[in-house]
Amino acid sequence: MIAQEQKPMEEILGYLEGKQKIVVMGCGGCATFYYTGDKKAVNEMAEKLTKEGKAVTKIILPLGISACEIDMSAAFLEKNRKAIENCDAVLMQSCGDGVQVVNEYIENKMGLVKAIYPANDALGLVGGGPTKFKETCQSCGMCELGKTAGICPLTSCGKGLMNGPCGGVRADNKCEIDPDKDCAWVKIYERMEKLGELDKFIEMRDPHEWSKMKRPRLFEIEKPLSPVRAMLGSLPAYLTLLRKPKLEE
Amino acid sequence: MGDEVYSDLMRDLKEGKYVFTGELEPEKAGDVHEPIEMARDLKGLVVACNVTDNPQSFAYVNSMAASYLIQKETGMECIYQLRCADRNRMALLSDVLGAGALGLKNILALTGDHVSLGDTPDAKPVYDLDSTTLIAMIRKVVDEGKDLGGNEIHNPPKLHVGGAAAPGAANLKAEVAKVKRKIKVGAEFIQTQVVYYTDVLDRFFKELGKVDVPVLVGIFPARTFGQADFFDKYVAGVDVPPDYLENMKKTKEIKDKEKRKEEVDRVNVEFFTEFLEHLKGTPAAGCHMMAVGYPRIIAPLKKVME
Ligand code: SF4
Ligand code: SF4
Repeated sequence: MIAQEQKPMEEILGYLEGKQKIVVMGCGGCATFYYTGDKKAVNEMAEKLTKEGKAVTKIILPLGISACEIDMSAAFLEKNRKAIENCDAVLMQSCGDGVQVVNEYIENKMGLVKAIYPANDALGLVGGGPTKFKETCQSCGMCELGKTAGICPLTSCGKGLMNGPCGGVRADNKCEIDPDKDCAWVKIYERMEKLGELDKFIEMRDPHEWSKMKRPRLFEIEKPLSPVRAMLGSLPAYLTLLRKPKLEE
Repeated sequence: MGDEVYSDLMRDLKEGKYVFTGELEPEKAGDVHEPIEMARDLKGLVVACNVTDNPQSFAYVNSMAASYLIQKETGMECIYQLRCADRNRMALLSDVLGAGALGLKNILALTGDHVSLGDTPDAKPVYDLDSTTLIAMIRKVVDEGKDLGGNEIHNPPKLHVGGAAAPGAANLKAEVAKVKRKIKVGAEFIQTQVVYYTDVLDRFFKELGKVDVPVLVGIFPARTFGQADFFDKYVAGVDVPPDYLENMKKTKEIKDKEKRKEEVDRVNVEFFTEFLEHLKGTPAAGCHMMAVGYPRIIAPLKKVME
């Protein structure tokens, strides 16, 4: 998921200077998991903006409805067409994806040209939980995990090296760049040792193929997924959640 | 790997001579007068000098330009340090070809400290290649006349490439495996990061075992307490022994400049004599004396090795 935190209020108010009527829209996807786009976050943002003398309309997306998946979020935008038409600016409590996908829809499909601003800073594709998360993949387009015992050299190593460790590893095997982070290449070595694959460690891995990451990358699937049908179809499987183990960090 | 010898450094190493190398540091300046002066002082004492490339990620005079000027003005052979932190593979290739065109004969291929540690922390770090893939690239350029993409290089440069090692690494097995990887892809010599402890040295050589490339062990006699302290605090992967630091600190109290210099030299000779005596009994092919801005210490230390 894409971790995100809210920007400082001064920055947000700076964007909204001179704008009176504001549509605040949250995201029911990642932003909701990180409390930066859920119902409560939207209500709090609306309250703060109202205190600043702004007129606010809220668009709250329920859990599972992501702003960036236009197939899901369009209905909520259409429902609020009037408010969007009348507003001076849209403030998105989502990652940058959500901001841009919604902006494109408002402009190209709804035919409205509106200023749109981010309320959040996206912090990367993270995994883990329940409360601590770590960036472990940067969607590079050419996964190297098969060569590095399942630990991403591009993301978990502070320098993104294909052939570490570098000479800067600390005495406690933490990373040169940050004493709170483990050296990914020492971890890769240790895992390969456990897997009996040290012969692979000593082989040089070729430089990463960055040609697989020509931005912006475009992607297509044959037919759209029906989120409602997919969710309903999976209902019995959700029962597994009842057996959720108690996780400690 | 061919048997060709292009540089004095490689000639001496191949002939089995005990080799001393020095270190010159271009600075944040529009000229290289200072390293040129230092090179003059080091002439005859070391076979070649490393010329640092943005050490600790402080952005200084370009290392290739400095190496060229030092070689031209003083005749001191340079080991041009080239790090992956600031250049993508295209820029690295351009620099390697440029180095050949300028008559540089040795490159030390480095990954480079992270840019966030230096004086330009907001820079975008590159690391398109790492030290190992850079070594492999240089060998391909020199030996096959081809770049990484297999494109032909007309009149390829003739130069040698070395790599670095960190004998003090906490996970020595991982570090040594990496060093062996560098040797496997064509590193022709190894220069180690600074070592202060004889047991660290012994552990490193034991783990490394027999390798068929020469290893030069790095030492760092500091010219001032400040230099030693900076090294201790800011150089990634190096801890300076507290007793040495303490003795260096005491020299600060000496008011008379000449007396202070004498005492600094005495502290260094005393500390490094034991280490160098020990070094003689190791498989090291030589010693890399990183006495930056401190050429007068080289001769007394070399004497220990005689
Ligand atoms: S190599 Fe790393 S960044 Fe690339 S896809 Fe795999 S995990 Fe993600
Ligand atoms: S210390 Fe380890 S994780 Fe950090 S940059 Fe060096 S190799 Fe990568």
